Amino acid sequence: MSTGFDESEVDAISLTPGTGEHEDEPASTQSTTSRRLAVSGEVLVLYLICIAIALGLSALLVQVTGGSAGDVFNALLDGSFRKPGRIGLTIGVAVPLLLVALGTIISTKAGLVNIGQEGQVFLGAAFAAYVGTEMGGPGPLVIVALLIGGVVGGALWAGIAAVLKYRRNVPEVLTTLLLVTVGSQLVGYGLKNQWLLLAPAEGRSNRQQVSKQLTDDVRIPRITWFGNEFPISAFLALAIAALVALALASTVWGFRVRMLGQNPQTAQRAGVAAERYGGGAMMLSGGFAGLAGGAMLAGGDFGNYTLVPGFPSQIGWTGLLVALVARQRVIGAIFAALVFASLRTGSGFLAATGVERRVTDVVQGLLVLALLIPPALLFLRQQRRATAAAGDRT
Amino acid sequence: MIGDLLSALLDVATSEAAYINALTFAVFLAFGATGEWVAEKSGTLNISVEAMFLAAAFAAAVGMDRTGSQFTALLIGIGASLLVASVQAEMSHRLVANQFVVGLTLNILILGLASFLASELTFSTRKSDPVTIPILSDIPLVGQALFDRAWLFYLIYLVVPVCWWMVFRTRWGLELRSAGENPQSADVSGIDVNKRRRQGIYVLGVTAGIGGTYLVLAAVGQFEDSIVGGRGFIALTAVIFGGWTLRGTVAGCVLFGVVLSFRLSLPALGYEVSGDLLAASPFVLTILVMAIFAARVRSPNALAQPFIRGLK
Amino acid sequence: MADDGATSLSTSVPAADAFASAAGQPAAIRLDYVTKKYGSVMACDRVDLELRRGRIHGVLGENGAGKSTLMKIMIGLVLPDEGVITINGDRARLTDPTDAARYGIGMVHQHFSLVEALRVWENVALGEVGKLRPADVRARVAEISERYGLDVDPDAIVGDLPVGMRQRVEIIKCLRRDPSILIFDEPTSVLTPAESEGLFETLRHVVDDENRAVALVSHKLDEILRATDEVTIMRQGRVVDRVITADVTASSLAASMVGRDVSLRSERVALGVLDTDLEGTEVPDTVPAAGPCVLELDGITVLSRDSIPVLDDISLTVHAGEIVGVAGVEGNGQRPLADLLSSLLSADSGEVRICGEAVPTGRAGAMAAARVGVVPEDRHDSGVVLDMSITENLALVDASSFARRGLVDRGALRDRAVQLIEDFEISCPGPDAPLASLSGGNQQRVVLARELSSDPRVLVAAQPTRGLDVGAIEYMTDRIRRAAEAGVGVLLISSELEEILDLAHRIVVISDGRIIGEMDRADADLERLGLLMGGAAA
Repeated sequence: MSTGFDESEVDAISLTPGTGEHEDEPASTQSTTSRRLAVSGEVLVLYLICIAIALGLSALLVQVTGGSAGDVFNALLDGSFRKPGRIGLTIGVAVPLLLVALGTIISTKAGLVNIGQEGQVFLGAAFAAYVGTEMGGPGPLVIVALLIGGVVGGALWAGIAAVLKYRRNVPEVLTTLLLVTVGSQLVGYGLKNQWLLLAPAEGRSNRQQVSKQLTDDVRIPRITWFGNEFPISAFLALAIAALVALALASTVWGFRVRMLGQNPQTAQRAGVAAERYGGGAMMLSGGFAGLAGGAMLAGGDFGNYTLVPGFPSQIGWTGLLVALVARQRVIGAIFAALVFASLRTGSGFLAATGVERRVTDVVQGLLVLALLIPPALLFLRQQRRATAAAGDRT
Repeated sequence: MIGDLLSALLDVATSEAAYINALTFAVFLAFGATGEWVAEKSGTLNISVEAMFLAAAFAAAVGMDRTGSQFTALLIGIGASLLVASVQAEMSHRLVANQFVVGLTLNILILGLASFLASELTFSTRKSDPVTIPILSDIPLVGQALFDRAWLFYLIYLVVPVCWWMVFRTRWGLELRSAGENPQSADVSGIDVNKRRRQGIYVLGVTAGIGGTYLVLAAVGQFEDSIVGGRGFIALTAVIFGGWTLRGTVAGCVLFGVVLSFRLSLPALGYEVSGDLLAASPFVLTILVMAIFAARVRSPNALAQPFIRGLK
Repeated sequence: MADDGATSLSTSVPAADAFASAAGQPAAIRLDYVTKKYGSVMACDRVDLELRRGRIHGVLGENGAGKSTLMKIMIGLVLPDEGVITINGDRARLTDPTDAARYGIGMVHQHFSLVEALRVWENVALGEVGKLRPADVRARVAEISERYGLDVDPDAIVGDLPVGMRQRVEIIKCLRRDPSILIFDEPTSVLTPAESEGLFETLRHVVDDENRAVALVSHKLDEILRATDEVTIMRQGRVVDRVITADVTASSLAASMVGRDVSLRSERVALGVLDTDLEGTEVPDTVPAAGPCVLELDGITVLSRDSIPVLDDISLTVHAGEIVGVAGVEGNGQRPLADLLSSLLSADSGEVRICGEAVPTGRAGAMAAARVGVVPEDRHDSGVVLDMSITENLALVDASSFARRGLVDRGALRDRAVQLIEDFEISCPGPDAPLASLSGGNQQRVVLARELSSDPRVLVAAQPTRGLDVGAIEYMTDRIRRAAEAGVGVLLISSELEEILDLAHRIVVISDGRIIGEMDRADADLERLGLLMGGAAA
């Protein structure tokens, strides 16, 4: 089962899909620079319109349920970067989002549909919590080890889906999805048992099922720039982003992964074993999500260095959406991660407006849907132009 | 251990309450799975079943509270589900956006929306009363489970045969199936492939709408954010389990329904089982089932492959 | 009417109604001045055509001459830019296939319009309107099947039927609507010679006894000569001649088709000529001395999902410098054979040896690493990645040899691409252009360039000239010949006998997944080959 068309195909705007099947119908003869510019201008306008509609609908929702859209908007801006220190918080939230998105980009390029990041984040965080609280030794060493533990946790979880896909032909879109719930139950179980993750009785109330807290030296150091404090994992994330972009575009591995995603049969002929490269991409994707989980735990912006039930708090899902919105491009992912992080941190200020926090989930969802429309419209228009040229009924 | 397991199973198998619970979930799943079966026959894969269930459940709950009529609530529930279905259908099969992306976003969006609205509005419902069918409901063990249920339950006896008839006995169904097996040939033969695919999703919208309404008004009794809780995905996998046959799909729903119900039945019979384990078991079972069956069954040839004329 | 410098052709083309009977019955369908442009290319240039009842009208032209576009216009799949269509004297506007069906125009498609998972009667009913009446449809299928001696079971599942039978289902689907005009688009490419004869008899029946009009579109001279009453010849989108079949010879047809005097001998591959006078005269020059064996298939069996062998105990050898032709009607195992040698299929038993060393089947890239080059039957499936650039497509297999420490050396790849573009005369905007922007013939050249430049020991060419125009066909066959001369062992898989006879030193015939006959080119005779292809034992 292939997912067929994906948004990145629309980038070939200069082409008409005359694949040259018949000699009667030759290839495109268009694509001058001015045409491309005109098209880009159109694209921008289209995006702006769609975003405006999404925001407009959200505003409407707020008004209709008795809130004030203006207040909400202001609260969001305050919470995400206007008020002092908030930018730092936003960056702290953007870090795991970016990591999850990077992993998703890799699996998507390989032609896979991984939508289980929420579960992979949780497993990664759980592994990281175990390592972080059980391992002894110098702080920095433990930090590195727990991050690696996160990677391992996430990779293993995604690996289950990979094995099922390549050995038993089970579509990964479903297994990764189902594994999210299984993962959350599994970690929940771990949080109920002291020999796994549960903190010892003293220092927590009986009903709390939380892990031990990471000790001071096992926390990712934070720095302060211009009054904003954020963990240095932000730099790590950016560095990794650059690496991923480089790897996909310029390495042999990246070339092969892209081949696999675009034409698995040709890739097989050329020596790209689907199981190896696809399975690897899948596990990498999970590993990135798991790393995000570890970074969340040791970074301090989530849960106060403690693993709690529901720890991922939608970071997995949102990170996936970041990658979608960024159309599988690393630069876009950095930007989109910041935007989505802003929505989250902004929502922290909503309490004062009387509007329920969850409204940002709605805004998020509407934005994503809205952003799916322009590429689809453009692709269709391209098709329509081609078939109109061919005279077929549309 | 094995002995315990066997005696537990025996207890369950002989408990009327267990059958009632099992069929509650089975029928809920079946409302979604039947519609999804129709849709998958045309080649679409809609992970937004979850969102459709949830939208219907929420809307029906509010509708029930505001109008006091179960029937009106059903219509409202179906309406909400159709709204979700229309986004899935139009965006994926008219606007060619990736159907998984759309489905996923809808799930997230509807969950957020329902939670948001549920906290802003107040409404309450109560579980609807059963309608007893005489004689049939006296059948030992299963009689109550099958024939002494809320009226919404009985709709499944209508939904399944109607869907079967639509897919196999009408021209519409023939065209639907051709769209799922070989959309290029269907297109050349003059069939509007994407239109049939959209219509399949609308059918799903209707059945999932009934299912969501049933869930909130008859099965659970009141709305909560987690009322669907991922079980929409189980309905999806029932279709795969059944090898894309309706019979198999229904069988899958029964199987998964039984497992889902253990969470209620076992403790009621005095068995103590870890909550997490039980909560995860339907999902684990689903994965296992797919691992065993997916390699062997034959899906509609063009399943999950978007159709765009001019592109292969 | 302007010509492009042709010398020996008549300069006046007979009018479309030149052969109308004196009785003056209106033409079943008449196309006047029909024009269709794709970008700057005229697919159809002021085409006039008349189809009359009771006649089989051939439309002859090489690939790219505009025949398919013209047929698509008649069937409503393509809207012409200009021109008038008149059906039975009334002006008609065909905007989609349902319009065409209403006017009584039916087409038997080249690549079929059948849904394999459904039954015959369901396929026949597909596309009609109104309540579905299975019993009625079944009865009609049986009736038509009997009337034309087609022998088709209404309840059979199309996917279970052999290719020749599927074409008959297509014919029934077409005839069910009781069309007054039938269009057959290159129908014999999937038929054995015997089945082709059967088809022509059916056509004759349809036309004579039922007074329908039939258009037979083809690029093969033989077919046209054998089956049609009159011919319209197209070249580069224009009608260049109209003739009565009985009045012409293969040579004159060829000349019209190609636009210049043509040596039937050297171009018969492109022209589809199986003139029995010619066969046996043009044997490839040297039967090569037994070079080392480069490719050996030893007892290869590949089973399908239902454990039916798609390749059944295949054994064959190819020596360096030799061209071995695998002849056979499409659908008899050619595709699996090419896929096996592309590492896309694993053998359930048997061994593949390249230069004596066993190569594991089904392992990604193993064949390519063993220097087996493949020009696949469908490049879009396993030959190219459409969304990648020409440079990247040329580097699919050997990117790692242009890399240092994992990083790809873009410059070196580009240089190589530029060189190959020149060597293989690939017409393109530049090495960074996406492959999808190239025409079919040029895409094929990219594949060829990649495969040949990797210095292969074995070259598998599967239907290499399908869909190409005469010039491209010549180029391709020339390249294949040169590869063999340079010592490459060539396995030529083709359902075009002309191609096999032109190129191969040795011929094997495949049927139902088995090799059922083998002969040297010098001993090859058409009759025997035809029989073998039809499945008769050697």
